[in-house]
Amino acid sequence: MNSYPVELLVQLAPVMFIAGLDPAVLPTSTSNTPQSPGQSQSQSPPPTPTKHDPFQSLIARLRDVLQSQRKAAIWAPERTRSFQMILVDRNVRFPPRKLVSPEDPAYSTAHSPLSPLTPSSPLYPDGLIAPIWIRKHTALLPSVFVLFLRLFEPPPVHTRSPLDTPDPDYEREKAEEERRRDAELSAEVAARKKTTNERGIKLTVVLLASRRMLDDPSLDSRLTFIRRQSGLDSRAALFVLSPVSTSELHDFARSLQDALYEPAVEYYTLHSKRVRRKRNRHSQAVSSYNSPLAPVGAASARPLRPEGWTVRYEYKMACFAEFRGEDEVALKHYQDAYTKLMIMFGSTAILPPRTKRWAEAKVLADAINVKISKLYLYNREHSLALSHHNSHMRRFADFSRGWGIGEETFEYWSWMARQHRVLAELLEQGSQSSLTLPTNTPPSRSMSPAGTPVELDTVRAPGLNPSHALQHPGHYYYMAARCTEFRRERFLASEVCSDIFGTSQGASAAPGYANEKKVDHLSLILELYTKSYEVFKKYNSTTSQGRLTLWIAYRIAHTYYESEKFDVAIRFFERIAKTYRKEKWNDMLRPLLSTWYSCAQKLGDVELMVTLLVEMIGRAQDHDESKSLQDDLLAVLNSSVPSSAGEPLVVDLKESEPLLDTILVFWTPEVRVGEEAAFQLSLAAPTNIDLSALPVASVTITFSNGYYPVVLRHSPSTDNQAADQNVRLVKIGKVMPEDEDEEPEEIAADLRWRPGERLVVSGSISSAAPGPLTVVSISVILAQSDWVIEMPHEPGVSHGISTLVPRWLTSIHPIRFLQLGRNDCSSVVVRHHPHELAVSFSHQAPALLDEEYPIIIDVTNVDERHLDIAVDVLLQPTEVDEASQYIIFDDQRSSGLIKGIRFDIIAPGVSATKTLYLVGSGAPGDRMIDVSIQSTSVQAATKDDDNAECPRSSTSSAHAAVDTCEKLQTIVIPMSRALSVTYNVAYKRSKNAMPPLADLSTVEDDVWDDSYGGVAIVAARIECSAPCALLIESLKLRRQDNSLAKVLDSSSDEGSDDIFLDEYLPGDEFCDVSRISLSPQEEQVLAEEKIPGPGDYEVVWRRVLPGGDRGRQSTTRFALPTLMLPRDGLIALLDVPSTAKLHVPTPVQLTVRNRHPFRSANVTITLDLDPSDAFIVAGLRNGRLPILLPGSEERLSWNLIPVECGHVKVPRIKVMDVRHATPLSQGAGVPSTEVDVEGEVINVVDVRADWRTASAHNAGENSVAITQQDGVSTILVLP
Amino acid sequence: MPPPLRLNAVAFISPQNHPILIRTFQKGDELKYHYVAHTSLDVIEERTNGPAKSNECYLGLLYAMDDIAAYGYITPLKVKIVLALPLTDSVVRDSEVIMTFKALHLAYYHASSNPFLRLYDTPAGVGSSRWKCFRQRVDEISRAIGGTSVPS
Repeated sequence: MNSYPVELLVQLAPVMFIAGLDPAVLPTSTSNTPQSPGQSQSQSPPPTPTKHDPFQSLIARLRDVLQSQRKAAIWAPERTRSFQMILVDRNVRFPPRKLVSPEDPAYSTAHSPLSPLTPSSPLYPDGLIAPIWIRKHTALLPSVFVLFLRLFEPPPVHTRSPLDTPDPDYEREKAEEERRRDAELSAEVAARKKTTNERGIKLTVVLLASRRMLDDPSLDSRLTFIRRQSGLDSRAALFVLSPVSTSELHDFARSLQDALYEPAVEYYTLHSKRVRRKRNRHSQAVSSYNSPLAPVGAASARPLRPEGWTVRYEYKMACFAEFRGEDEVALKHYQDAYTKLMIMFGSTAILPPRTKRWAEAKVLADAINVKISKLYLYNREHSLALSHHNSHMRRFADFSRGWGIGEETFEYWSWMARQHRVLAELLEQGSQSSLTLPTNTPPSRSMSPAGTPVELDTVRAPGLNPSHALQHPGHYYYMAARCTEFRRERFLASEVCSDIFGTSQGASAAPGYANEKKVDHLSLILELYTKSYEVFKKYNSTTSQGRLTLWIAYRIAHTYYESEKFDVAIRFFERIAKTYRKEKWNDMLRPLLSTWYSCAQKLGDVELMVTLLVEMIGRAQDHDESKSLQDDLLAVLNSSVPSSAGEPLVVDLKESEPLLDTILVFWTPEVRVGEEAAFQLSLAAPTNIDLSALPVASVTITFSNGYYPVVLRHSPSTDNQAADQNVRLVKIGKVMPEDEDEEPEEIAADLRWRPGERLVVSGSISSAAPGPLTVVSISVILAQSDWVIEMPHEPGVSHGISTLVPRWLTSIHPIRFLQLGRNDCSSVVVRHHPHELAVSFSHQAPALLDEEYPIIIDVTNVDERHLDIAVDVLLQPTEVDEASQYIIFDDQRSSGLIKGIRFDIIAPGVSATKTLYLVGSGAPGDRMIDVSIQSTSVQAATKDDDNAECPRSSTSSAHAAVDTCEKLQTIVIPMSRALSVTYNVAYKRSKNAMPPLADLSTVEDDVWDDSYGGVAIVAARIECSAPCALLIESLKLRRQDNSLAKVLDSSSDEGSDDIFLDEYLPGDEFCDVSRISLSPQEEQVLAEEKIPGPGDYEVVWRRVLPGGDRGRQSTTRFALPTLMLPRDGLIALLDVPSTAKLHVPTPVQLTVRNRHPFRSANVTITLDLDPSDAFIVAGLRNGRLPILLPGSEERLSWNLIPVECGHVKVPRIKVMDVRHATPLSQGAGVPSTEVDVEGEVINVVDVRADWRTASAHNAGENSVAITQQDGVSTILVLP
Repeated sequence: MPPPLRLNAVAFISPQNHPILIRTFQKGDELKYHYVAHTSLDVIEERTNGPAKSNECYLGLLYAMDDIAAYGYITPLKVKIVLALPLTDSVVRDSEVIMTFKALHLAYYHASSNPFLRLYDTPAGVGSSRWKCFRQRVDEISRAIGGTSVPS
């Protein structure tokens, strides 16, 4: 931008002249303090009035405030009605409109001093427009003139008291003085008004007055007077300002600008109109224009062509529009001017190239281009801006070819660079304030970014013109730098030309040559690249790696190299190479390395040269390149000495390509301690690199700790046949551990590699300690003259990844490789031998429930080492329902895991035994036990009397401490029942009378009423179901009476404990019977609750082992069965004695019970006497019982007199419930003959035979009744 | 109507940012396109990882520099494809570029799904004969699109 006049680029704004604020001019000051003209005082807060005149500080602050309103800048898109304020002397004179005075008669035909028509003008006769014209309008001619004046104020009168009458004389004097001063002031204003009116400039007067004055009633009249006298406008022409604070001054400045903006715009509009008139007049009179007005003295020079005039007028109108802040209008006029200018450039007749006017026009065109681009950018029309800029460059590139300054000249590139740079600078300025750069991401499909402005044209068309995509200024700086590089190239070329053809011819061939010679191209390039680099860095997002900046850094480094600052360049190269190496961009690295190498060459840094050469050999593309690089290396090595003699130079190739492809292959992934692990290490030269000239002296292969490194020493191959082979095999035998006394010898090998040659080092390694084993590093050592260069290689590096396939050389004649199927062959793991342990479990399956089932674990040490054994036992949770289990081991008891049962140290050949007990109960089924036997080998120090142990055994015992093995075993144990029980339950009704309905004792807690529940008789049959014989030691019924049931007696109660003591074989059974009295509550009966058995049988038994031994005592418990509650409705119980005596009356009783919960019963009883009956009955024959309420009973008795002997039938007693029958007989209307036909028959139960089984009871009451009915009760009548 | 697309170079870059294949259709400028491909990674990373990240494969214009415009594309498996187009003063339609990218992606996909191509050949082995088909396919795409210049 500096290459263009700033006037042509700066953003124009209305100009305001401020006069009367000159700090040097002391107004009629009453202050006696010396006035300091410096600004520093005015910056301080308002000084106290006692020390300073408030007006002085006011003026100083006003100057600051007004000057800070707007800064002239190239990028200023805001339209805030702000003025360019210029402080001027109050007597400033405007430049003359014309050279002649208005009185002169030639005035009307004369032109402005800047017009091309005025002979003294710099533009005479055919100039277009000059920066001085803009300067005239920005610095010399305002649109608004603001004059600051001090309003006269008489010194204040200090009245002594408010009651004092004012002195009339003094008042009069004061008024006169005011009038006189105001008149003077008005005259001054009027004089200024005259000059501004001539130019159509708005004049505004600001009167400075004290705050006291503002309240003065005479102020208004005075102001009116002044305005009238001075002829000021009525609007926005007179302001009064009193000393106020700075912030208020800002407001004042703002309001001043707002008020005066319109007159300013009007002023520039008038100018525009004038210019447009001229242009129109001119375009109508194109043909007749130039000749008559051409001044006589300039006949030789051609006057300005009509196109030129158009450019001039359009440009002026554009400027005036810009002053007014009308960007669109300005853009339009600039474009018109630009178009016309292009037409002018198109013809060499109009603008002959390489003339002064041509150069001026070029500058003008460039400046207009910048303005147009800028106006587009203001409006966020990025692509339009760029498209204009690009077409400008393209057009001028075309023109340049016509002018003979095409791409082959440095002028062309200088111009191009300038264009790029101007754009870059414009964007940089813009981005510092308001310009936002588009991201250029495709707007399609994905969400439209809310924040970034979407360009209009990208929305319309499904694509964009890449050259119109606005990027950050770094790109344009970069382009400028590139163009400058070209410029330098062309310049150097022309310099060569001039050297050849002689200076005079060369200089004349390129006109700007002398100037160009002075230009320091390289620093220019460097500056541009550096700027670009900085901008790129600024715009780099944090996520990216800065590859773009690296690329620019590479260019910078190159430029440094060109300008022979090699040390700086090297620093750049180092940094750049790091990333390129990491990301394997070899094609980019190679030119970098070669430039770097030449830097090192220039600096004479031999070691760096060597390092770089080695890396370059590793990256060489073909044989020739690698050969020539090796020659270079040898030359360097032979011709120089290392800086530090004795120390080898280490060239670390870890980050870059290796010299040799290395691959390490172990035959097996794992070996035992002491076993040998065979390995092959192959060192190969890539097929495209010839390393045969490299003076490799030795190769050192370093293993993991504890081994002597293997050194291969070069010895040229004598065997011709072997030399022809592509693969050479070197056997190194066993790798020596470090604690061997003698160091291994160096092994001779042919260490020269032709392309694709492979050296396979084959050997074996063994370890006394477990752990991984591998090759740590492979150092290739070059030695030539004084140089020793060490190049560490890692095992398993290569140029191409494909060669890393692990292959094992199986045969050398012919060469045959075996591909190993493993992924990682580059290391071997050494492990201990597994411990030899024999473990056996012995037990007598199946296990029985409730038995402590012994499992004998027997561990025998079959190994040669002493082993410390510990056993963990885990009882797996069983899947069988209702099963519970636990294990007992060494006094520990657990239902899950028992850990760390120690068997102690077992010597070789010795065995140890422990017993594990499993107890299962509940349900049979398989139980599972996991046993883990951990063995740790220990050095049996007690056994080794040999105290003179070598230090090695201490290390090995340290290792042995971690030499552990684990053996896992799972045993499944079937479990079956030892005894099984079956119960038979029968229920008997109670003969006891039911308690009366309202008997209070029934609600007491401890009442035992079995009248309803009766008695349950439980017969338990216990069968021996174990697969082996059992010894039953005892059987006991343990009573656990509850509120509903209690055991009355049991057969096991009688007799001694040992009645069962006997051996029982499978299938044997024994039995026990018990009686249980039930006392259910009524609600429990209704809910059909079950009564838990009131006790359990406890059987104590032992298993009889096969040898006749007895096992451990075990106890099995069987709970009594749950009991049902019998449920009855209406029932009749017949109590008949078993025997009777002939002719002796025998009482028979019938109890009718209504056990129905809510229904009362209406019962009739009939005693059927059959003639064949063996009885004579005394008692009721036929009758009806009183209504039986629920829960009540009625007892009837008869006397039977047997008349026959033997088992005789009891007379049939028929009990009917006629509750249902009664309504039927009445409903018929006819009284029936007998009621015995109707009604429901009620069971008559002989209590002697009342035996209801649980199963029968379950089936239902009817079935019960039927079983009872069948059995006809009899009495044995004895004589 | 914009002129048909012309390719200056195509670059395939692995997810680890190693170059897979850089195919130049202009003689004598191979190195330049290496740089273009490498620097494009910056913009690609910015577009894919940056705060305004998107999941689109097509990344659009990456940047324009010198006389080429670089367009980017990232496959779901993070293989990056960079196109270098000559910078002409004409609109480049996104649809055409996307079509080209898809064709290139497919070519890579076909090449890498060759069962005889071992995976460890991928990054460095592109120069090998196994990838000949892939190279040919890329050249074909370039020809079909309108780049008539002979591949170097």
